[in-house]
Amino acid sequence: MMPMVQVENVYKSFGALLVLKNINLEVMKGDVVCIIGPSGSGKSTLLRCLNHLERITSGRVFIEGEIIDEREAGKDQLKISQKKTSEICTELGMVFQRFNLFPHMTALQNVMEAPMTVRKLKKLEAQEIALGLLKKVGLEDKKDEFPSRLSGGQQQRVAIARALAMQPKIMLFDEPTSALDPELVGEVLEVMKDLAREGMTMLVVTHEMGFAKEVGSRVIFMDNGEIKEEGKPEDIFSNPRNERTRAFLQKVL
Amino acid sequence: MFDLIQFIPRLLKGTVITVELTLVAIVFGLLLGLLIALGRLSENAVINKFCWIYIWFFRGTPLLMQLFFFYYAFPLFFNPPLKGLTATVAAFIAFSLNSAAYLAEIIRAAIQSIDKGQMEAAKALGMNYGQAMRKIIVPQSYRRLIPPIGNEFIMLLKDTSLVSVIAMTDLMRVTHEIESQQASALIYLPAAVIYLILTTVFTVVFEKLEKKYSIYE
Repeated sequence: MMPMVQVENVYKSFGALLVLKNINLEVMKGDVVCIIGPSGSGKSTLLRCLNHLERITSGRVFIEGEIIDEREAGKDQLKISQKKTSEICTELGMVFQRFNLFPHMTALQNVMEAPMTVRKLKKLEAQEIALGLLKKVGLEDKKDEFPSRLSGGQQQRVAIARALAMQPKIMLFDEPTSALDPELVGEVLEVMKDLAREGMTMLVVTHEMGFAKEVGSRVIFMDNGEIKEEGKPEDIFSNPRNERTRAFLQKVL
Repeated sequence: MFDLIQFIPRLLKGTVITVELTLVAIVFGLLLGLLIALGRLSENAVINKFCWIYIWFFRGTPLLMQLFFFYYAFPLFFNPPLKGLTATVAAFIAFSLNSAAYLAEIIRAAIQSIDKGQMEAAKALGMNYGQAMRKIIVPQSYRRLIPPIGNEFIMLLKDTSLVSVIAMTDLMRVTHEIESQQASALIYLPAAVIYLILTTVFTVVFEKLEKKYSIYE
């Protein structure tokens, strides 16, 4: 079976700072991969390299078997048009730590915008999809509210609906609950659990160890730009082999 | 003391010209200013530099000199020299190009003040740069643009009085003519009142606009 995401020998540096070192990763269809590790370990950067929000310095990235990035010492080894980049992005839905909803649009408009602008759907079609998705995340009654009138948890659920509206095959979650008040974390995790149950392929950078344990099919521990340990959640959490993993888990659990 | 009433039609004629010039300059200034602002944000070094030079030139030289340039010097660049470039056309050009430089900087600052996460969210949804700008970034900058553009608008309205020196019969020129004929400076009072009424109208309109675009905040 072809991996949905394949990352080969990826390095990424910001100037002299090396933030990803020789990352190799395969994500199969239906996998829920939880990436844990201390701040600054490169978790978010790894996600952002998949949909071109950051460009890798060297290595190769494949999405559904198709090569979408090949670079060597910061130089492209393969030409990628902006059109192609946009196409890749529609395969990958992304949810951000700070939601990044469009503040000048209502919840419904937020969800409708990309299907209309990018996929050129008619307004009524987009609206039907958007209403369905808002219902799925439990916010149908908030469709006409602007983001500033919604709680953090509600905003993040709208953001998930917005990403799903492009019918992505893979969902990237970049610390989706880190900016939320503790009592609002649960509602967002519930929506994510539903998605996982439906078989969505997910990469989740998270500090929610409970979620990783319960929903993750695989857990990756990153530290200092490297994948230090990788395995089934029960193995990582109950029997970590790497010393750094052990130290980290001791602190957060 | 002279009878003010009889001069009102002439003053109003001058007012129409003043308003016309202001509107033309702000409309063309906004269109051109948006292009220049986008050019200043562009990663293309040539476009970026060109727009930088444009702003540098039009902000760095007196508006009055630019006005003289387009009225007297500009026609000489043509062979045979351009005849009949009226004061009105010269003023339209000079004021539009000048206000574009100021408005470009206002627009650029407003666009740059939009949270970076907005462009990232748009790109992650598959929008290209143009779509993201048009649908997401520029609309959000409107509300931030309104106060400084209102300011620019009012300054422009008053600066149009400069055209009286190239024989354009705007409100200022008309007032001055009446003053000479009547040998009475009192005519400046009703003229000042007309300027005040105009700036008040614009102030109110811009306050309304600001409210309208604040609904989502």
